[in-house]
Amino acid sequence: MKKSQLIALVSTPALAGLILGCATVPHNVSASTNSAGAAEVNVKSAAATEPTLTIAEGVIGGKTPQENQAFANAIGAALHCKVKLISVPSTDNYDQQLMTMLGAGQKIDVVYTEGSTLAELAQKGEVTNLQSEIEKSKVLGNPKVVPQWEWNNIKLSSPNGKGIYAVPVKYQGALMPIVRQDWMKQLGLSQPKTLNQYYNVFEEFKKKENAYGLTLSSLYDIEPFMSAVGLKNGYVEHNGKLTIPYATNAAVPVYAWLHKLYANGLLDPNFVTNSTADERNEFLSGRVGMFVYWDAWVPMLNNLASTQGAAASFDAEALPPALGPNGKGLVSKGDTSVFAIPSNAPNKALAFKFLEWWNTKPGEILGSLGVKGIDYTVSNGKYKLTSTGIDENMDHGDPEPISSEWKNPFPSLQKGYANARAIGIKYGYQPLINANWNNAEQIVWQYGDDAILGRLTPQQAVEEMHAALLKDKYISQ
Amino acid sequence: MSTSEVVQPHRTKTLRRPVGYAPRRWKRALPLYFMLLPTLAYLMVLTYYPLVHAVVISMQDFNLIGNRPFVGLKNYENVLSDPNFWGDFRNTLVLGVSILTIGFVAPIVIALSLNEVLQTWLKRSVQMVIYLPHLFSWVVVGGLWIQLLAPAGGLVNAVLAVFGVSPVQFMSDPQVARWVIILVSVWKDVGFNCIIYLAGIVGINPSLYESARVDGANRWQEMRHITLPGLARTMQVVGLLSIMGVLRIFDQIFVMRNAVIEPKVNVLMTYVYDEGFQQMNIGQATASALLILVFTLVLTIFTRRLIRYDT
Amino acid sequence: MRHRWTSGRVIFAGLNIVFLLLIASTMIIPLWNAVAVSLSSNFGSMASGILMWPRHFSFSGYRTIWTVLDLWQPFENSVIVSVIGTLLHVLLCAMAGYALAQPELPGRRVMITLILISMMIPFESIMIPFYVTIQELGLLNTLVALILTGLVSGFSILLMRNFFQSIPQEIMESARMDGAGHFRIFFRMCLPLSTAGLATVALIEFVGRWNNLLATVLLISDSSKETLQVALNGMVNQGSSTSSGDLVTNNVKMAGIIIAIVPLVFVYPFAQKYFVKGIFLGGNKE
Repeated sequence: MKKSQLIALVSTPALAGLILGCATVPHNVSASTNSAGAAEVNVKSAAATEPTLTIAEGVIGGKTPQENQAFANAIGAALHCKVKLISVPSTDNYDQQLMTMLGAGQKIDVVYTEGSTLAELAQKGEVTNLQSEIEKSKVLGNPKVVPQWEWNNIKLSSPNGKGIYAVPVKYQGALMPIVRQDWMKQLGLSQPKTLNQYYNVFEEFKKKENAYGLTLSSLYDIEPFMSAVGLKNGYVEHNGKLTIPYATNAAVPVYAWLHKLYANGLLDPNFVTNSTADERNEFLSGRVGMFVYWDAWVPMLNNLASTQGAAASFDAEALPPALGPNGKGLVSKGDTSVFAIPSNAPNKALAFKFLEWWNTKPGEILGSLGVKGIDYTVSNGKYKLTSTGIDENMDHGDPEPISSEWKNPFPSLQKGYANARAIGIKYGYQPLINANWNNAEQIVWQYGDDAILGRLTPQQAVEEMHAALLKDKYISQ
Repeated sequence: MSTSEVVQPHRTKTLRRPVGYAPRRWKRALPLYFMLLPTLAYLMVLTYYPLVHAVVISMQDFNLIGNRPFVGLKNYENVLSDPNFWGDFRNTLVLGVSILTIGFVAPIVIALSLNEVLQTWLKRSVQMVIYLPHLFSWVVVGGLWIQLLAPAGGLVNAVLAVFGVSPVQFMSDPQVARWVIILVSVWKDVGFNCIIYLAGIVGINPSLYESARVDGANRWQEMRHITLPGLARTMQVVGLLSIMGVLRIFDQIFVMRNAVIEPKVNVLMTYVYDEGFQQMNIGQATASALLILVFTLVLTIFTRRLIRYDT
Repeated sequence: MRHRWTSGRVIFAGLNIVFLLLIASTMIIPLWNAVAVSLSSNFGSMASGILMWPRHFSFSGYRTIWTVLDLWQPFENSVIVSVIGTLLHVLLCAMAGYALAQPELPGRRVMITLILISMMIPFESIMIPFYVTIQELGLLNTLVALILTGLVSGFSILLMRNFFQSIPQEIMESARMDGAGHFRIFFRMCLPLSTAGLATVALIEFVGRWNNLLATVLLISDSSKETLQVALNGMVNQGSSTSSGDLVTNNVKMAGIIIAIVPLVFVYPFAQKYFVKGIFLGGNKE
């Protein structure tokens, strides 16, 4: 190597580091104004050509950078603009990453977020109130496209309940028991309604199918069983006081029941550390007969089973939750996932156009099936999934659009969904969650796991759980 | 601080050149400075500047962008009054001391045991095999062991089941999980340290053994009175390196922890990470990191004094 | 060895070998099991029971990794960061080591002291201001940031310096008499004479970079820039594909693990020798 080349090679990064370091270090406070200036320039020059729509998201799009690019291009083609998709891996705290980007003054037109974070963003004035635009909109203002209860859910995140700061991304669905219906049929079992009947089903699964009856992911998914004693997940407000129902004496019988499952080998012992992906794998491979998961996953599980070579008879079906003595049941709905428009978005009108488009048929097709030519093809008006499309299971962020006018073009790939969605609508509720919940939840899970594993009696576990929550002031009484 | 921290090979006598004019000397040294430039730039920008900046950040209510008001020593107060910090401090001590003790003894035992093996091929093979895990990342090692220790479908519990032991919740019983962390940590490095000891054993003067045999010493006495004392210096090196490593434990915990065992296995470095990047309490996290840095320095100086690495 | 073989000694030797085989088996069996699982079919790998041989032999785990999960991208990122990072590291540290080995360098002691002090500051303890600095440099979410992390280290510099100091000065003197400059001496004489040192530094650095987790966790949030270790950690240990339709069965996880250790297998034959050498020569790393 020539000396001069070498010097250039070696010194470039270091020098660049030095120069950049010197240039930026003293100016961190003014950085935001600088970048704001830069963004304005961007808008001006963009006005002459095509504007760029920047979307920050954690769940929409394809699986690979190339697919994401195609996904972005598809949006751009529809809206006549360039689209930049900032994909944050859903693995680690999307919310924090989003906050950091917004805090750093990064210019984003549309952000994906969830109810609890939306509340924080709206409170801080980081996102735009869209109420009047939504009311005027032919798409979003149409209750057939977005029913009123979705708006009510989103309004839970508005400061003082006023204004609408976001638009739903998808029908969120609920967590409900999903069972191997083929086993149920084969063993001649009828739909369980009480905890005892559920227990019998599990016992049969163990005896006859040599499988665990149930798997869980810690206490993430016990709501359909807490339903038997009428307790809700998260917080409950009563006379202005917050309590956590899972930490009350009323929950004791359910912990006792779960412990009985564990002690008798009916509950998958990996439940404490299972991720929900683990649960799905165990269910698909026939190691467990039941788990609790999203309604939208019922057809996805059925499709996966047939493409991935699970048991030929495999048939997943959703079940109603265990019912209380009054015949009522509860399943918890997911935190609404939404799109919002940051207050400093450079292209607000375009951003809103995207939100509308997302809830029209082409948007719904993109969000579910995926990108034309990559995930599916159309000939003579008939849709056909490619192998990539089959692998991705019609989930590109919006597997089950909200609109009542939406019809999935592959009814045969929707096996079990109608029943599951009906259960979610009949028994579903939105859990009340606040900023403390993540920490409180950890305490609940910790003692709950102890109770299920038998390290504490259910009574002790609830008492200690309650005391710990009280000590850290996560509940008021 | 002295340069003698580095083991110096025997240096050939340097021929001292007559010192010319000072300017000529500088001119001659110019290419040398050029060669040092990237290193100095790196140290300044990515080591010392962050260090100094850390002191500033630790006294600010730090936001990545926006206001960064000075709050004096508030962050330090918050750290020192945070029960989680002290909990993680305790965990670090418990894990650290256990890993140090077991991790110190185990490779010596294995090295001595290997030394007794007469079949060279067997000795070689075992050496090759036990050294493997040292090369693997914590993601790999953690992933393997989490899988192996699963209550259902894990190899270890399957073996235990043969002996009639009911499934052990290795990764979800905090007390057991602590031991898992300790033993897996020892497991990963035992082979590497063992090889260092073997290298040390090879370096022991053979005539010592000869004369011991003439005096009628048996194998046990040889090991006790020649091999072990002969390894004293190697022990110092390995011991020192391990001590330095203990306060830095991060990857292993990051990979192997889960919500249930966190209170018992989180360590100081995960505290810094969680506080800084999960809770976004950057000021407080930085303050805690500086406190840990001070612990580290004190510990380093203390141990260096104690075992006089440089003699 | 010239000791008499008493029966006690035979028993001891036997037990000793059993003990060692037991230890070695704790290293071999997990790996063997991982290979067997990685070569099983999706559901074969999930069925209950322990696999010491693939169940329903299939490459679907590896196929899923490459095609569906596209681990190719993180793998490529890891290769880029490890190879470029290692080459630069070796070159820069060797240059610095060479410069610091020259007795006539003015200010040598100051610089050595700077380097020694930097060695007492673990990266973990400055991770936050390091992150802030990278942010200020505008390098967050770039592979450059990862290459830059640990671009030089006191350990490698001092190790190289020791090597250069052990080269007889007479050789260099004569080159100098012939009018060779420092760069020429460095590249033409010192580097070729120090291959063992270069190999030691390169190996340690390569393995360290390949296995590095923290730098990526800190500096990268864009999934297209992730390195293999982080992608793998998400997949194997955190079950991160929660919101997607991917089926990450055990064979897929184990295939990921095997892929992550394959490059290390190539270095492995050399590693033992040079790693130990590194410990004794540099006397200080981890």
